[in-house]
Amino acid sequence: MIELADIDKTYGVGDVTTQVLKGISFCVEKGEYVAIMGASGTGKTTLMNLVGLLDKPTAGQYRLEDNDVVTLDDEALSHLRNRKIGFVFQQFHLLDRANALRNVMLPLIYADRYPEDAEDRAKKALEAVGLADRMHYNPNKLSGGQQQRVAIARALINDPAIILADEPTGNLDSKSGIEILAIFKRLHKQGRIIIVITHDNNVAEHADRIIVLKDGQIAEDKPIMQPRDAETELKELNNKEGQS
Amino acid sequence: MRILRLTQEGIRALLTHKLRAFFMMAGTLIGVAALTAIMTISMGTARKLKQQASKWPHDVIKVNAGGGKGYTMPQEAITTLLPADAEAIQDQIDNLVLVTSVAEKRGLSIKGNSRQTGTNVFSIQPNWHEVMNWYIDQGESVTDEDIATMARVCVLGATIREELFGEQDPIGEMVQIGNVHLRIKGILKPRGVGTSGRASDDRILVPLSTALRRLFNQEHLSYIRMTVRDPDKIEDTGEIRIERTAEEVRQLLHERHHITPPQEDDFSIVHSSIVIKDIRSISKTTTVLLIVLAGLSLIVGGIVLMNIMLVSVNERTKEIGLRRALGATRGDIFIQFLNESLAVTVVGIVIGGILGWIVSILLVKYRYLSIGNSWGLFALIVLFALLIGIFSGVQPARRAAKLQPVETLR
Repeated sequence: MIELADIDKTYGVGDVTTQVLKGISFCVEKGEYVAIMGASGTGKTTLMNLVGLLDKPTAGQYRLEDNDVVTLDDEALSHLRNRKIGFVFQQFHLLDRANALRNVMLPLIYADRYPEDAEDRAKKALEAVGLADRMHYNPNKLSGGQQQRVAIARALINDPAIILADEPTGNLDSKSGIEILAIFKRLHKQGRIIIVITHDNNVAEHADRIIVLKDGQIAEDKPIMQPRDAETELKELNNKEGQS
Repeated sequence: MRILRLTQEGIRALLTHKLRAFFMMAGTLIGVAALTAIMTISMGTARKLKQQASKWPHDVIKVNAGGGKGYTMPQEAITTLLPADAEAIQDQIDNLVLVTSVAEKRGLSIKGNSRQTGTNVFSIQPNWHEVMNWYIDQGESVTDEDIATMARVCVLGATIREELFGEQDPIGEMVQIGNVHLRIKGILKPRGVGTSGRASDDRILVPLSTALRRLFNQEHLSYIRMTVRDPDKIEDTGEIRIERTAEEVRQLLHERHHITPPQEDDFSIVHSSIVIKDIRSISKTTTVLLIVLAGLSLIVGGIVLMNIMLVSVNERTKEIGLRRALGATRGDIFIQFLNESLAVTVVGIVIGGILGWIVSILLVKYRYLSIGNSWGLFALIVLFALLIGIFSGVQPARRAAKLQPVETLR
């Protein structure tokens, strides 16, 4: 599915260069839920940009399904991003002046063919993240958790194989965070690849594999035998609130 | 259509920043409005002058009393143009076919058939009909004998005949101007509106001598009108004959009126090539100046548009990065931003065009200008404005398209 081999990434030119990633290699198979961890400055975001096709490695190989990504031009990469990858950002990155529905429909504009049922699809995506009643609200009328759910609906609209999330709960309170992770869990069960970049153990423990970066290299790549289940945790949380 | 969807995105962005969009539009709007108004008015003026020029017979030279340049009118207060001048012209200038003298007074009161109205009195010589190519419809005209005897007779124009006598036969009836009674000898053929735009049938013709002595009590003429044989012939000196002749007339009158340039003339000479020159000079000087000003306003508007778009691109780097992450190609971003500038320009052109028309219609109403239209020129204005819009939009759109998603999403 995703295959990175000996990836280097160097910023700068001439003498003043910083090598952010050194010889990164890993594979992610269909249906995996991976957390990429590391302290700040270890190259997490750079790695996410590479995996998300927003940037190209200085050296190394990257295959995404049948595509040799390194050789693709900007246009091909854009189309691939549009079809294969759903981004979820820490800052949500919604358009302020468009309502939830329009935000969710945004990736469809850049699709090869604009689907005739665009609006229905966007509505379904919003229903899937529990925002059926907030479709016509602009982002400033929504809570952080709701905004992030709009962003997830937007990531899902083109039915991508990969969900790529950069600190998705970083700007949320813990309850909203759990809600987001519960959605990820559900998407994972649908067979999608989930890649979450985080420095937070509480987030990473929901994945079934953790890759730890240190100084631009993979320090650790381990499976989690018993990942936490955000869906159950959310139910318990709701029950507790119900009791008190 | 992908391009429509991208344009729609651009237009949505504009609608959420209406004031910004307005300022982006202002230059185009004002420039196009001004250019449209200038176009309609200069086309109208040119058309009007062309009509006058085409009505002006090309073998006629007219000497008006009173100075001035170009297409002048006789001035009543000038008393220096005399019948003797006409005789001198007839005797001393070559290549003239006919010379006729006219004294006119406008807006005199006339009574007849127990009705009263106002009219214009033209005192003429018998060859007036030939010079003007305007003949009698009924009865007969002024004769040499009438001139010799200062006969109290007249010929009516169609309008005045209608006003005073209606359906009755006026020949032989009397009219009264001041305290002079005139017998009606004939009726002029109707002619409609003349070169000056005045109704030409509202007139009465009187023998020149009768008018000068009995009616106006004056010695001087309003104008002398003459026709030139072969007016387009090139003389040995290389000059066109009618221009050469006009110059000879001018020199003769200088002598007779004791005028030495640069002293100002007390007469003015009009002929067809002067009328045509008039058209050219009007459509050149003022129009060129106005077009330059309006064109400048378009260019300045384009610069404003470009700068606002550049600021807008800078403000929206995050949005651009997001769109790129969601699958927009560089081309998509370029088209969205270029079409934002273009949409503003197109709307500016439409509103500006309408505004220009409204302005020219108002000007016509209050300043008695006439308007014309040339779709070719209007297309040129639109094209110019569009080009400036595209030119101003390209740079910001390129900057937007060049932004790296990695840089902008932080």
